[in-house]
Amino acid sequence: MPSSPGRPFALNPTSWPGTPMNRRSFIKHNARIILWASAIGFGIRLPRLAGASQTPDIALATGDRTAATRAAVDLLGGMGRFVKPGQKVIIKPNMSFAGGPEDATDTHPDVVRELVGLCKEAGAQRIRVLDHTLRREERCIEGVQKACEVHGDDIVQAVSRSRFFESTGIPDGRQMRETEVMGEVLEADVLIAAPVAKSHSSAGVSLSMKGMMGLIWNRGIMHSRFDLHESIVDLASLLKPDLIVVDGSRVLSTNGPGGPGHVLKRDTIIASRDMVAADAQAVAMFEWYGRKLKPRNVKHIRIAHERGLGRMDVENLRRQQIQV
Amino acid sequence: MTLQRTVQVGGLALFLLLLAGAAFRFAGWLPQDLFLRLDPAAALLTGLSARIWIGGFFAALAVLMATVVLGRFFCGYLCPLGTTIDGIDACLHRSADIPEKCPPLWRRFKYGLLVFSLTAALLGLSLAFLVAPIPLVSRFFAIIVLPLFQQIADLLLQAAAPLANRFDLTGLFYLQLPLPRFEWQGLTLFLMLLILAGSLWQPRFWCRYLCPAGAMMALFARRPFLRRQVTEDCVDCGLCARACPARAIGDDPRFTLHHECIVCQTCRRICPTQAVAFSTRRMDKAPRLPAFSQYRRGLLTAGVCGVGTAALTLSGARHLLGDTGTRRIIPPNLIRPPGALPEDDFLRRCYRCGACLAACPTNTLQPLGMETGLTGLLTPVIAPQMGPCDPQCNACGQICPTEAIRPLPQRERIWAKVGTAIILRNKCLAWELDRKCLVCDEVCPYDAIVLKKLPEIKAPVPFVIENRCSGCGFCEHHCPVEAQPAIVVEPMEALRLTTGSYQEKGRSLGLTLEPRPPIRRSEAQPTPFPSTEDNAGSGLPPGFSE
Repeated sequence: MPSSPGRPFALNPTSWPGTPMNRRSFIKHNARIILWASAIGFGIRLPRLAGASQTPDIALATGDRTAATRAAVDLLGGMGRFVKPGQKVIIKPNMSFAGGPEDATDTHPDVVRELVGLCKEAGAQRIRVLDHTLRREERCIEGVQKACEVHGDDIVQAVSRSRFFESTGIPDGRQMRETEVMGEVLEADVLIAAPVAKSHSSAGVSLSMKGMMGLIWNRGIMHSRFDLHESIVDLASLLKPDLIVVDGSRVLSTNGPGGPGHVLKRDTIIASRDMVAADAQAVAMFEWYGRKLKPRNVKHIRIAHERGLGRMDVENLRRQQIQV
Repeated sequence: MTLQRTVQVGGLALFLLLLAGAAFRFAGWLPQDLFLRLDPAAALLTGLSARIWIGGFFAALAVLMATVVLGRFFCGYLCPLGTTIDGIDACLHRSADIPEKCPPLWRRFKYGLLVFSLTAALLGLSLAFLVAPIPLVSRFFAIIVLPLFQQIADLLLQAAAPLANRFDLTGLFYLQLPLPRFEWQGLTLFLMLLILAGSLWQPRFWCRYLCPAGAMMALFARRPFLRRQVTEDCVDCGLCARACPARAIGDDPRFTLHHECIVCQTCRRICPTQAVAFSTRRMDKAPRLPAFSQYRRGLLTAGVCGVGTAALTLSGARHLLGDTGTRRIIPPNLIRPPGALPEDDFLRRCYRCGACLAACPTNTLQPLGMETGLTGLLTPVIAPQMGPCDPQCNACGQICPTEAIRPLPQRERIWAKVGTAIILRNKCLAWELDRKCLVCDEVCPYDAIVLKKLPEIKAPVPFVIENRCSGCGFCEHHCPVEAQPAIVVEPMEALRLTTGSYQEKGRSLGLTLEPRPPIRRSEAQPTPFPSTEDNAGSGLPPGFSE
C-alpha cells in the first residue's frame, strides 16, 4: 500500500478553500487525492486487507476436514489473530470416548492436528491438547495423540488426577460459584475449544460450552446439585475460549454423547470467536434426531444468550462460507 | 555375593518385574504368571480340590522332578517367599549361628499342614491361599508392596512437577501413575507378618517348620542325586552345622538331612578343611533316615483336622461351594470378573495370588471379605464404585495361573456378562428429583440405557435394557449420586461358563452384548426421536426444550 508522508488525514490548512493556493500546494493536494483514491481502489480489489470490520462472526468451511479447519480459521483472520508468538495455548477437543472417527463421539484427530499445526505456525511457545476423559485415558487419547505426533511428543494429555486442578471462583456464576479447573488452563494465554458436533441426552447438544466440562475436576456436581444447563453457562462465564472450532465433519445426530447413534456426514467446520454463536450455528445447521431445531431449543444456549455471553441469533450475525 | 544370593536376588527381581509388568502393562511378552505356576503345593491343592489337572502346573511338576536331582534348590534359590524371609533374617540376625530353639520334631508340622490341607482339598475346599507359599507372597507384593511403591513414586512425581513444568518436560509433568487401592490389606499384611514373625525365633522359620510346598519337595528330596557329601578331611569342628540356615546337618557333621537341605552350600563355603562337596559322587556312608511312618499318628490327626475344617466350612450358611441346591445366600457384591468359571469351580481353583488384582487397569477388582464365608475370602470381585470393568480388557483372564478366570479373545470377552445394572429410582436424580442428569446413559459402553419421557416426570428418565447390559459398572462408577449410587450392578444373570462360547450362549439367551449395535444405522435410515410411546412430553429429542 502506498504510504504518504506525514499525517495523511491532516489536510494542509493552506489548502482550504478561500485561502490562497499556490502551485506547490495545488500539486500536493491533488497528489494526495490521487494517492488516497488509488489506495481505496486497491483495497476494493483486495477485500481481505480492508480491516477488522469485515471479519465474519461465524466462519463455515466445507470440504476436506483438514483443509476446512485451516480455511475456517483463515476466514476469521488466521490463527495469528488468536495466538501471538511465545504464548501458551490449550486446545480442548472431545476425547472422552474411545470410539473411532466413524462413531462421531470425539473430535476428529485430523482437525486437532491441523489446529496444533496452525498454533505452531503462529509461533506458540507451548501447545497442549487436554481433556479429562470419561473412559480409560490411554485409549481415549490414542487417536489424537498419534495424529499430533508430527508436531511433537507429549502434546496430547488425558488429565485424571485431582492434583492437576486448582480451585477457582466463578464470579459470574449463578448456581455454580466455584469449581476446580486444570491449572494449565488457568495459566494459558489462549484457549481453543474444538468440540465435535454431537447430541447429548441431557444437555441437548454437547458443543463448545458443554465441552468446557472436560477441563474441570468435579463434573458430577453439575448434574447432581445444580441445574445442568445453568451450571454449563456458569462454567462458560469462567472458561471463555478465544477461538471455537466445531468439528462438523461428522455429526452424532442421535444418542449422544456416547453413541452409537445416527451419524451425519456433513464435512463442515464452524469457527467463531463467540462460543454461543458457534454452538447456536451448529444446532441450527445440522439435524438432530431427524429434525431441524432452533438454538433456543437448547436451554444452555438460550440462557447464555440471555446472560450476554454471546449471541444465539445467528441469522443476524455475519456468516461467511467457503468451500475447499 | 555368592551364587545363591545372586540367583535369589535375580529371582525375586524377576518375580517383581513380572508382577509390575502386569500392573503397569509392560513386558507383556514375558510369561507373567511364571512364578505363580511353580508352587507344587498350590498346584496339588488346587488340582485336587478342583479335580482337574491344570496345564500350567507342568511348571510345578518340573520343579518336583528337578528336586529329585537337585534337592530343594527351589527353596534356596527361587522361592520369592524364601528370599523375602532371608532378607528379613539378614536384618534380624547377624548370622545363622543361632541354637535351634524349637525342638527338631516341630519340623513335622509342615507335613501335618500338607496333609491337613490335602484332606480338606479332597473334600473340595482349597486352602492353598492360606498355606501355599507363592500365593501368600504374591498377594502380599501385589496388594501391599506394589501399591505402596506407586504411592511413593506419585509423591515424588508431585514434588518434581513444578520443575518438570518449568523445563517443559510435559511427559514427566503429566505422568499419572495408577494408584491402586485394595480392601483387606490388613488381613494380607497380617498373614505375611505371621510368617515373617517366625524369623524372630529362627531363621527360615516358615520354611523349616510350616511350608507345605517345602514338605512336598522334601518327600522328593530324600536322597537327591546332587547332594551334600563329606570326605574324611572333616575334623568335626561343627561350624557347618551351626551355620546351616535349614539346620539340615546333625550333631555329627557328616550326617545330612537331605530333605531339609536347601542346597545353599553355606556349609561347603564355611568348611575350614574343604571337606564338604555337593556332588553326585558317593563319598559318605550317611546313616539311614528314620522311617517316615514314625509320624503316622500326627499325620492322621492332621488329616482328621483337615476333614473337620472342610466339613465345618462347607456347612456354613454363606459358602457357595458344593451342592447348595436352592438354599443360597448370594451377596449383592459378588460380581465376579468376566470369564470367571461357575462359582463352585471358581472357588476351588482361585488361590488368591492377587495377580488379577494387580493387573486390573481400572482397580475395579477387589478382594472379597467374609460375605461367602472362608471359601470366598480374598477372591476377586468387581467393585464398580472403585472403577468400571472395561469391555475391551481381559487382563485378569490373561494372567490367572489357574484359569479360574478364563482367558478370552476380544469377541468373546465383550459377551462375558458379569451382572446386570439396576436403577434405584428413589435415589435417581431424574426419577426422584426431576433433574436432567443421565450420566449413566452417557457412559454406558453397551448402549444399554434408554431414556423415556414419562408424562408425570419432567426430565427424561433412564431404564436399563437388561439384555444389552453386561454389568460392566460404568454407570454405577460414574453415577453422581453419592454414598449409594442410584444405579448399581448386581450379579444377576451373569454368564459363568466352564467351556464354550459366551457369544453363542448369550445369543441363545437373547442377549445383545455388542458395544455397538450389530447393524450400523446409516444415513438412509434415520431413527427420529421421539417414538410414539415416548411422545408424551414436549415432543422434542432428549435434552432439548421449548
